[in-house]
Amino acid sequence: MIKVDAAFIERVTSDPEFNATACMNCGVCTAVCPMEIELLPRKLFRYAMLGLKDKVLEHTESVYQCLLCKMCEANCGADVHIADNVRCLRGYISKEIFGL
Amino acid sequence: MSDRRIGVYICHCGGNISDYVAVERVREAVEHEEGVVVAKTTMFACSDASQEEMIEDIREQKLDGMVVASCSPTLHLLTFRGVAERAGLNPYRYVQVNLREQCSWAHTDLPQEATEKAVHLVKAGIAKARLSQSLEKIRIETVPRALVVGAGVAGLRAALALSDLGISVFVAEKSERVGGWLGEFGDTYPHGRSGSGLVDELLKDLEQRENVQIYTEAELVSKSGSVGDFTVELRVKGEPITLNVGSIIVATGFTPYQPEEGEYGYGEDGVVTLPEFVRLLEQCDGQLTYQGRPVKQVAYIYCVGSRDQSGERGHPYCSRYCCNAAVHASSLAHELSPEIHQFHLYRDMRTYGKFELLYMNARKQGALFVRFNEEALPEVSRNDGRLHVKVKDMLTAGEELDIEADLVVLVTGMEPRPNETLNDALKLPVGLDGFFKEIHPKLRPVETVIDGVFIAGAAQAPRNSAESAASALAAAAKTAALLKKGYVELEPLVAMVDAEACAWCGECLEACPYSAVSQASRDGKEIAEINTAVCKGCGACVPVCPRDALQVKGYEDQQVRAMIEALGSAR
Repeated sequence: MIKVDAAFIERVTSDPEFNATACMNCGVCTAVCPMEIELLPRKLFRYAMLGLKDKVLEHTESVYQCLLCKMCEANCGADVHIADNVRCLRGYISKEIFGL
Repeated sequence: MSDRRIGVYICHCGGNISDYVAVERVREAVEHEEGVVVAKTTMFACSDASQEEMIEDIREQKLDGMVVASCSPTLHLLTFRGVAERAGLNPYRYVQVNLREQCSWAHTDLPQEATEKAVHLVKAGIAKARLSQSLEKIRIETVPRALVVGAGVAGLRAALALSDLGISVFVAEKSERVGGWLGEFGDTYPHGRSGSGLVDELLKDLEQRENVQIYTEAELVSKSGSVGDFTVELRVKGEPITLNVGSIIVATGFTPYQPEEGEYGYGEDGVVTLPEFVRLLEQCDGQLTYQGRPVKQVAYIYCVGSRDQSGERGHPYCSRYCCNAAVHASSLAHELSPEIHQFHLYRDMRTYGKFELLYMNARKQGALFVRFNEEALPEVSRNDGRLHVKVKDMLTAGEELDIEADLVVLVTGMEPRPNETLNDALKLPVGLDGFFKEIHPKLRPVETVIDGVFIAGAAQAPRNSAESAASALAAAAKTAALLKKGYVELEPLVAMVDAEACAWCGECLEACPYSAVSQASRDGKEIAEINTAVCKGCGACVPVCPRDALQVKGYEDQQVRAMIEALGSAR
């Protein structure tokens, strides 16, 4: 059982760049990812949106593996700014976890 | 020897029949049957040329009976009755034999036997034609007035449409006020106009009309008569009123599903149904609060009381409107308090058609949608003074989530409204789901098996206000089509009573599914009487009569006996 953390949701989604809420979970992004990062990005965003902080941090490596090539963004059916969203999460992790 | 003059036409149906049945052999086998004066085969009996030939034969040969052995009567009975009528032959002296569906198509691997069967079928048709009589359609003068039961959006819209068409309307509303559920609502989707505003608009229009009379606190207690000419009794504020109307539109609406105590925590402080939540939204000013406390997190649980195949927690059907209504309410809540977090726990989002935009809008506003499975329903509990909803999110492959909520909204569906007095009076058929049942959901969507009684709105099935108004317009159009002509013609193939044989035992009354039988005194004797306008000629009364006093016209015992003999005769 994972607790939904509303404060985390607020922290992540308050960034105006973060627009993953429009995601409809179709999975095209995962299918076209050249890095074959299975988790990225739909599951990661879902964890972030649901406020599952621990789950997001568990996948810190994946967040930094992304090439930001925007292949997923070009193919997204819901116009989610995937690369920007990944940057938002990197920003959060860099600041809150690594203290940069 | 019969002195009848019968014409027999055997159709090839372009090969549909003649590929398997030797139609020429059939013709040869029946041409010398008693009473047959014309026996022909034809490539397409329904073709113009063939119809003209039949008309010529009827006139020149002075035919007084006709048999066409072709396809199902569903397809062409009326076609050939029309041929007879145009040639001056009573259409009820025409008999159709179904050689296609009931012979050639059914026995494609046995052409020999199919031909023999065809001969017997045609002989049986000839036997029936020999005993056929001229019948006249039952004509009923219609009353140019209609009764609408229920003054919700469907009832009011139907009344307005009928008034526009020049038909006087009585509207009977059970409660004290008109407008139904829509009249209680504020913002409605997808246009954002207020429900009460829409109802006021309808009422304002109706008030200006002289041919509309609205009764509140009115109930329909009984109905007699038949299509085009009903006598209905209303009880208005306790006083009986009798009306004479040509048709009745039933638009009695729905009632929202009321969860049981403890169902998803219902009864707990902070667990509300969707209608309760919508009312709360309307009362809140500036910020979403519940009992004085600000609301930060809202969890919606969908399909409460709907789509339950097990039958333990409500109804098996989808209530159709609730997904749209819930995402719309979510947007209203967001507009009121943009900082709140909203979690929608759904089974399937059925925001059909343009309502997809409402769903998209709610997602863009930040509402989160969590899909759960029927096998693992969400659980609502109270821990440390807060409501917790536990759910298995199918979109993260079954991650179990614990969502804290200040408010849990149970997205409840629609139930049929209990209307015992009305049901007793009208005897309308009700489907397995408890809603009134139409004849066919696509082909005859507002008609019922009771001629002249139509259904509209959510009394028929769960639907939203726009769909209710659309069905009300359909019912109004059907009513107008019925009443504006001034009369209705009904099939004369109805039951008749032999007054001498009948000794009134009441068996037929019990057997009749249409309430067409009543007890009557004739020459000091009690007998059964058939209301020919209500009788559908189903024949249920005929076999139960211990004295053989009942017959159905066009299917009299001697006709049926003759047909059986022809079917069983030697080759």
